[in-house]
Formats: sequence, structure tokens, C-alpha cells
Amino acid sequence: MSWAKFISTGWDLRWATTGIATVMWLAVACTSQDDVTLLEQRAHELNEVIMCPVCPGESINESQHTLAVQMRAIVNTKLAEGAAESDIKAFFVERYGQSVLLEPSRRGFTLLVWVIPPFGAVVAAIGLYYVLRTMRRPRSPVASPTAALQLTEDERARYFEQIEAAIGETNSEEQRSRADG
Amino acid sequence: MGQISLVIALLVAGYATLASFLGAGLRMPELALSGRYGLYALPLLLIIPSMSLVDAFVSNDFSVRYVAENSNLAMPVAYTWVAMYAGNAGSLLFLALVLSGVSVIAIAGLSRKLPHTGAYAAGILMLTLTFFLAIIVGLANPLERLPITPADGQGINPLLVHFGMFIHPPVQMTGLVLVTVPFSIAMGAMMAGRGGHDEWVSQGRLWGMITWVVLTIGLLLGAWWAYTILGWGGYWAWDPVENSALMPWLAMTAFVHSIMVQKRRGMFRMWNMVLIITAFAMAQMGMFINRGGPVPSVHSFAESSMGWLFLAFMGFTLLGSLIAFWWRSGTLKSRETLDSMLCRESIFLLQNVLFLTVALVTLWGTIFPIFSDVAQDETVTVGAPFFNRVNGPIILALVALMGIGPLLPWRRATRTNVVRALKYPVAAGIVTAVVLALLGIGQPVALAAFSICALVVTGIIHEWVRGTMSRHRSGESYPIAFGRLLARNRPRYGGYVVHLAIIMLAVGAIGSSFYGVQRDMVLRPGDTGTLGDYSFKYLRVEETLFADRVEEVAELEVYSGDSYLGLMRPFRAFYPDFRIAATRGAIRSTPIEDFYIVPSEFNEDGRAVFRILINPLVWWMWAAGPLLFAGVVLGLWPQRQPAPATLTVRALSQAARA
Repeated sequence: MSWAKFISTGWDLRWATTGIATVMWLAVACTSQDDVTLLEQRAHELNEVIMCPVCPGESINESQHTLAVQMRAIVNTKLAEGAAESDIKAFFVERYGQSVLLEPSRRGFTLLVWVIPPFGAVVAAIGLYYVLRTMRRPRSPVASPTAALQLTEDERARYFEQIEAAIGETNSEEQRSRADG
Repeated sequence: MGQISLVIALLVAGYATLASFLGAGLRMPELALSGRYGLYALPLLLIIPSMSLVDAFVSNDFSVRYVAENSNLAMPVAYTWVAMYAGNAGSLLFLALVLSGVSVIAIAGLSRKLPHTGAYAAGILMLTLTFFLAIIVGLANPLERLPITPADGQGINPLLVHFGMFIHPPVQMTGLVLVTVPFSIAMGAMMAGRGGHDEWVSQGRLWGMITWVVLTIGLLLGAWWAYTILGWGGYWAWDPVENSALMPWLAMTAFVHSIMVQKRRGMFRMWNMVLIITAFAMAQMGMFINRGGPVPSVHSFAESSMGWLFLAFMGFTLLGSLIAFWWRSGTLKSRETLDSMLCRESIFLLQNVLFLTVALVTLWGTIFPIFSDVAQDETVTVGAPFFNRVNGPIILALVALMGIGPLLPWRRATRTNVVRALKYPVAAGIVTAVVLALLGIGQPVALAAFSICALVVTGIIHEWVRGTMSRHRSGESYPIAFGRLLARNRPRYGGYVVHLAIIMLAVGAIGSSFYGVQRDMVLRPGDTGTLGDYSFKYLRVEETLFADRVEEVAELEVYSGDSYLGLMRPFRAFYPDFRIAATRGAIRSTPIEDFYIVPSEFNEDGRAVFRILINPLVWWMWAAGPLLFAGVVLGLWPQRQPAPATLTVRALSQAARA
């Protein structure tokens, strides 16, 4: 479709305008971020990967437990003092153990948790490819719908004649049996 | 009375299981029929103990152990009506009651249409029910009496005292139990040796969809509850119990799509069996994790030591299903083949595989801490960051497939029709990304996600517009044309409506997880603060003493720019008996963003710590629920069967001659 034609069709234009308006509206919704300082952003990201030790599964960002509130304060102070993310994580791991981190480390046995999913996905993809290839191979030429479409006009006419004859027979049989009953 | 009725119910369910299986296997229809009548009697037998349990709660009868453990005098009366499912034993009774009810509905429909399948399906349903009832009678009897009657009960976990308690738990539990119905229909058809006839498919699809929508609504309600009560502005935490409800949902989502391929094309017969077995196993796995499974969770309300029994039952049913599958796999061969690797069928299959991948990744991450404990004697936590990182991209790919799949033709897609179908959607996707980037919206991943959403929506709307326009040209007005378009092919257009709802969910999830902002603030009464365009003034806090809790309600004046939005009253309630503080945020929700205030702490010296959040687009997630429900109803609404085949063939042959 050429551009001139695209613009001349009023409907397309109206749809395009609606679409762009929707997108702009999305943009309006997503701009509050400008207000957040880098330090706040870093603290937030860190809070999300540190678990509150007394509320299993919840990060200190989520939990409103007193301990979580205190730990958030520690994170803020340390970041303001210029500590690196890894230092702060190490600080909490020393006190509460490895399980205080919500994101398992990528070393040793724990590496498995990260490696298995992509490995499984690759295996699944290969499996899927082979399955689709097998399914594509027609088992008999007659069953293939493409073969059916390649009938000549004569063949097709004969085919439909036979069908109609069969229908006619069934119908008259039915009528006969109804008349009997 | 309730006790006796429970024991009778167990015996009847056991009999119904045996009678149904034997009657079906030995071809003794009378025996199977007697099993079916047993099945019909069970809801009546189970309503009696349920009523007596509810009555014990309402009348504060603390001589019943379960009531003493899960209620007290301070509990609001309305909650005593639903406290039945607050703990382990009572929720099992609730599950059993629901299962017996849906069994009657399913089997009544099934035994008329598919007698062979029906008997086996009844057997499977009754086997599951027998398992539940055996646990209730033997190990977790909610009607058990205490030797001495305490003056007051221990009360309910205060986090459960919320309006969500009336709707989320029953819907979620019903969803999990409902998975048994499509499972039993599919397995029943297979065991009857009729899996290769696709007659079970319409019933399987119907119950599959019902299960799916109940599970979906259950998950949405849970997310909404978490959002309003847990007080961190989030709705999904990849908590083990959330995961255990998500896994069967994922498998069911794969199933309700894949079953359409069998309905339309007679393919994927074995695959559908695999999917429904997986869904059922995952629902059992969910029960295992939920009931005192080995992983810590914020949901440990119904914890007990019987999780392992559920694991054993899961192993048993899984093994049984696999044996049945192996025994009957010969009947499940499909004669149809694909003409091309690129067609709607192959997208369906890819989608199924991806859904299963997400489910398995979720399972893997949820149970990995157990392996780690055993293997290296170190406790690790696998939390939200892991799941977001691994599942996020797969889910995004699934959303993209949701846009592409329905636009491709069955059997074979050629280059021309792929280009024609995807021209507008892809263009819309690209334009969206470019416009958002030009407007200064950052975060490439979120831009890609928004762009994929635009692709899906454009694809759906394009289909609707094209269909409506072509009807309009034949003389119908636009609204009528649109209505008739939807009514003509209900499964298809119902599916589109559901897809739109899913996009609304996706938009909410993307907006809030990538563009949400939050700030913790320390304010004294009279202080003001700002976040984004909002400014607010902390006026005062009021402390009220209740029998069971202390409530501290803060009052804030909130402005957006210059316009006054009103007072917001977030509060924090402390329950001394439980040493639990429940925070309840105050939310001002609009389709653009939620402004959310949570009180974290009120200090003696008058300082208060607030968390202020702006969560963009979350409103759309809750709005998606009703739309999704409407879509499923449209998709399932009975449609008059197409005219008998003889007429079609005759018309065809006349057309061919003409």
C-alpha cells in the first residue's frame, strides 16, 4: 500500500491517530521516574534482593516488619557513605547467612538453579523441531489434502456424483422406513 | 451427626470409586450406575458436616478443637461464616464439598453424552474425593472435640480478616479442585479406549475453560488482596504458595489452547493427555507445598504435617496416569499431518511448550532450596529476582505468540498471508516503541514489552474492524455488525476478548514493575512531602484501642499539582496476641496510576515513617478480571450446531456442478 493511499483512506488515519494517542497516554503514565534520585534507585534495587530474615520469602523492600524497616535504614546509610552493592550484600550475608539473598549466587552447587532452565529450554526447542518435522511428513499420499485438491475437473464431477447418489439412497431408504413405521 | 455423616461419606465415596471402575472395566453397567448414584449422594452427605462446622463457628462453640484454634470471641460475626476454610482441616472439608458438587454436575452431563467415558471419569473423581475424605476422617477431622472446653479460642490470623477472605480462598481452592474434572474426563476417555474419538473434546474443553477461568480469577483476587493489604504496593512475589497456584494455571492455559487444535484438526491427542496429566499433578503438587510443604512461605495458614501424603497421592496418580497412557497410547494416534512447519498448529505447540517451560522453571525454583539443603547443607533462597529474570523473557515471548498465532492460518502459512496478517500489527509495534522512546521513556526491556502489547492489540482490533466492515458493507449498522461478528464464531472472538484482557494485565504488570516509584519518608504532623506530581501533608495520627488490636490511623491531605484530591487514611493495626502488625495502605487509583501511602512505623516522639508509591497502570490489572470473565463466557456460550452433514455435502456438490 502506498503512502498516498494510506493517507487518503480516512479510516486508517483515524485508527492511526487513536493508536498514537493511546501510546502517548502510556507515556504519561510512566514518567514519574524522573523524580527519583540515583541513590534512591540503587537502594530500591538492593532492597529487592535482600530477604527479611524473619518473614520468609519477603524482601526487605516488601516487608513492613520492624526488622525490615531497620535493614532498609542500614542500606540507605551505607549507600550514602559510598559503600558498593556487593559490600552491603556481604554485610548481611555475614550476619544472616547465604539465604538472606533472594537471588541465589552463581557459584558451586547453586549455579545449577541458573543453568538447568536454559539447558531445558534448548532441549525442548530441539525436541519441538523434530516433532514438527515428523508431523509434517504425510503418512500416506491419499490422506494429504493437497493431493485431494489436485483432482481434475472430471474426477471431481464423478466424485460429487457418487456422493449425491449415496445421499439419495440413504434419503429414500429413510423415507421408506418412515413409511413402514 | 456431622461425624457420622463424614464416615458415611467416606464409605460411599470408596464404594463409588470401586463400583465405577469395576463397572466400567468389567462392562457391568448396573454396577457403574450404582457407583454413579453414590456419587450423586455425596454432596448431601458432605453438606451436613460442613453446616455443623459453620454452625460451631457462628455459635462460638470452642469445644470443637478446630473452632478453638481458628476463631475467638472477638472475631467479627461475618467472618465466622467463612472461618471454616481458614485452617487445614476445614479447608480440606471445603475442598471435598466442592469436589463432590462439581462431580455431580460434570458426571450428570457426561454420563448422558459419553457413557463409557463417564464411568471411568466418575471413578477418578471419586478416587480423589476418597483420598480427601480419608485424610479428613483419619488425620484432620475438623469436628473433633476437645476434652475440656476453653473459654475463648485462639483466633484467626489477623491478615485473614479482610474482605478478600470471602472471595479469594474459596475461588482459588475451587479452581485447584476443578482441575480434577477435565483430568478425569480426559483420562476417562482414554481408559475407555475412546481417546482417539474426539467426542470427549467438547466436554473436556468446556470443563478445561471453566477450571481455567476460576483459577485465573482466584489468582487475580489473590493479587488484589496482596496489593491492598500487604502494604508494599506489590501483587505478586513468586512466593512458593503463589507459585504452586500458578503452575497448574500455566498447564491449564496450555491445555485450553491445545484442546482447540484437537477440536478443529483432530491432532495433538497424546499431547493433550500429557498436558492434562501435568496440570493435575501440578495441582496436587500445589496442595503438597501449601499444606506444610518443606518451603517457607508467607501463606503458611493451613500448614500441617500432611503435605507428604499429598506428595504420595500425586506420585500415585501420576504413576497411574502414565500406566493408563502407556496402555492406551495406541488409541491416541492422529491421522492428520501438518502441511508446513509454519502454521497455527505449530504456534500452538510452541506456545504449549513455552507454558510448560515457565511451569517447570517455577517448580524448579520453588523446590531448589530443598535440593540445596540436602546437597550442600546450606540454605539458599530462590526469590522473585530469579523468577523475574528467567520467566520474564519466556512470558514476553508468549505474549508475542498470542499476537501472531491467531492471525496465522491453519495447516499452512505462506509468505504472502503471513505478511498480510502481520503488516499492521508489526508496524504498530514498531511505532509504539519509537514514539515511547522519542517521548523520553527509558528501559529497553519495557519498551519491547509495550511494543509487543501494541502488536497483539492491533492484530485483534484489525480482525474485528475487518470483520465488522465486511458485514457493514452487506447492509448492517456498525454495532449490529460488530455484535453479530462476535456471536458468529464464539470460541474465536471469546478468545480475542480474553487475549485483550491478558494484554491489560500485561500493561499493568509492565507499567508497575518498570516505572513504579517509591520513597520512604519520615514526617512529623504538619510536615509536607512530594513524590512525582503529588504533594501531601501529614496532619495527625489517631490511636484507637479494640478488644484484639490497636489501630493507628494516619490522616494525610493529598494534592496532585494544584488540585486537592482529598484526605487519605492509611492505618496500621497491631495484634498483641499474634505479635503481628497489619498495615493497610490508602490507595487513590486512576487508569493512569495509583497513588499509594503505607505507614511503616509510628514512633513515640511523633515521627512517622511512610512509604509513598506511584504505581503506574495497575488499575488495568483489576479491570482485566471482568473482561476476561466476559470473554470466557462468550467463548463457552452454546452455539447452535452447524447444519447436518448431508445438507452441507449436497450444497457442496451443487456448488461444484454450478
